[in-house]
This record gives sequence, C-alpha cells and structure tokens, in this order.
Amino acid sequence: MKRISIDPITRLEGHGKIDIFLNEDGGVANCYFQVPELRGFEKFVQGMPVEEVPRVVSRICGV
Amino acid sequence: MAKLKLGSYWASACGGCDVAILDVHEKILDIDAAADILFWPIALDFKVADVEAMPDGHMDVTLFHGAVRNSENEHLARLLRRKSKVLVAFGSCAHLGGIPSLANLYDKKEIFQYVYHDSPSTVNAEGVEPQPTTRVPEGEITIPRFYDTVMPLDFVVDVDYYVPGCPPTPKQIWNVVTAILAGNLPARGSVVGASLKTQCDECHLKKNEKKITRIKRIATEQPEHETCYLEQGFLCMGPVTRGGCDTRCQLSGVPCRGCYGPVDGVLDMGAKAISAIASVIEAKQESEIEQIVAQIPDSLRTFNRFAIGASLLRRKTL
Repeated sequence: MKRISIDPITRLEGHGKIDIFLNEDGGVANCYFQVPELRGFEKFVQGMPVEEVPRVVSRICGV
Repeated sequence: MAKLKLGSYWASACGGCDVAILDVHEKILDIDAAADILFWPIALDFKVADVEAMPDGHMDVTLFHGAVRNSENEHLARLLRRKSKVLVAFGSCAHLGGIPSLANLYDKKEIFQYVYHDSPSTVNAEGVEPQPTTRVPEGEITIPRFYDTVMPLDFVVDVDYYVPGCPPTPKQIWNVVTAILAGNLPARGSVVGASLKTQCDECHLKKNEKKITRIKRIATEQPEHETCYLEQGFLCMGPVTRGGCDTRCQLSGVPCRGCYGPVDGVLDMGAKAISAIASVIEAKQESEIEQIVAQIPDSLRTFNRFAIGASLLRRKTL
C-alpha cells in the first residue's frame, strides 16, 4: 500500500506526524495522526511549590 | 557573497525559543536578507527528509532548541550535527536540560503510569500506552521511543556554542545572529549571547550585607522591590547565574530562577547555589541552621530549576 508521510507537521507548536495510506486507485484508504512527543509535566509538577507551577507549566507551550 | 544557510529545530521544547527568535521583530527581515533558512518547523514547511537529502555540512549554522527526551530528538540531534558546520545549543533545554529535565526525578514507567492511567483527566479503560511500533491494517506506524532520562544536547553530539536562557532574550539573539553573520564567533565551546558576570553583578537592586535568618516565599509574602531579594530572605539564583538577560525577572519583581545557567567554571549549578545560600545563612547554633534550611521548599528543584539534566545528580536512581 502506498504511503505518504508528513513528518513533521509544520507551522504549529508541538510535534506531529501524519501517515496517509493510499488504495490502488490512489484514493485515501486510511490516515493516522501521531503525536511523537510527551514531556510528562502532569507528573513532574507534583509536589512543587505552588508559586512555581505557573512559571513551569508556561513551558508546556511557549508560542 | 553567498547567503548563509541557517536551520532551527525544536526537540523536546515548548517553542518559546522560536518565538524569541521572531521577537527580534522587523530584524527578521535582515536575517532573511542575509540567510536562507533551510529547516524551521515552526515557520517553514521543510521536512526531515529534506534535511536527510542534504550533503553533510550543508548548513552553516543550526540553532537547536529543546532537550533530548526521546529517540526522535536524538535522531534529529545526530542528523543536524552531521548536516551543520556549526551546531548551537540554543536555550536552557538544549544547554542544560531545562524544565523538561525536571522529569529526571521520575522514570518512564512512573510518568506513563500517571499520564496514561492515573491522572484524573485520563480516560483509558483499556489501559493503552503508546508503543514505538503499532501494526495497523495498512502497515506499521511508528512513534519515537520515550527515554527514562532527559539530556542536554551535548550529551548526545558535539556542540559548538551555547546560547543560554529560557528563552534567550531577543536582544541577545540579535547579538548572536550578527556575530554569526560577521563570522565573529569566539572559541568553540563558548557560551555566547550572555555575559561573563553573574546576575548580582548586573542587578539593579540595592545590596548591603546578606544575613538570612528566615526563608521567605513569594507565594506568602510580598518582597519590597528596592533591596536585594536574597537579603530579604527570598531565594534567588542570582549569585551563581550568568548575566546577560538584563535581569528581566528581578525587574519584573521576582528573584532570578537561574535560566541563564551557571557562570564559567561552575561544575554543578545546584551545588554552587546551595553553597552560596549556605554562606549567607545567619545562625549561631547548628539547630538554628537546620531550622532555617528546613524552610527551603523543594530544594532539589529550586536549585536546579533549569539544570537537572546537566547536573552531577542528573536523575533519580533508576
């Protein structure tokens, strides 16, 4: 099956990848959007002094 | 003269470094006039395959932001190292591990457990976790391998220059860009776009004698904004942090948190900060010292806010 990979998705904040599979007629058979990143802010802000949290989670997205 | 070939990439990052580059405002047109940008995912549509197709050493300078957190980040670090004559670790994450390296106090298993299972906002009845390779009816799809440890760029490849800051200030970015365009860079391995002095040397706040008898927090007490915050008892990373950012945090009314990294010659920023704070604690009895030190909240992360990845501690024991 023919595949078109868009890697990376551009002009947005964050990382993304799209794999498009084409059928024999050249039409789209299926399409997968993948998020190839995780940093784990949900975990590593735990137990942090409260005044730090807004200044740390602002680094989830700086755009 | 041939135009300079520039690249800019984000690995494990927030995009703030890219926005800081755009914050040079109209000077971005001067950069465009002097340089061809061949890879810049936030702004341009070039793909990884375009970089892979370049001859080695094709790009003159690549600004690499973000830490190395997964196999894709490492692949891009190695790829861009090969394709670039000069590779710059740009911003706190590439320089020292940055905020993402706070995750080094956990391992992959703990992070996955919380994010994909235990977090109150997670709905995952089947208990699925992301896998590097997934079979789908049409073939195989892949995502990067998530590492246990977040690394600064120079743990993975040789780095020519470091531009510190979370993010670097637009003024310093412009200084670095003009130095690159003029071919006026210092010795390889140098920190550029910053000062050789500490934050304290450049800070506008009045300094007297530092004698701390109590640790204060900005969450619960209001500092006054004319005297050194550390003298008032608010923990400040100024004594060990490199200057060059125009002390933007202190000017905003909060102590320095250390994003510009340590001054030259410091092996471990957190240890140096602990040493600096210890030297200004005013106490006669050991028990008094203990009582004051116990008031420091979350000392590990406070003293290594942007530098866990590059610290001697590096991570929690696996």
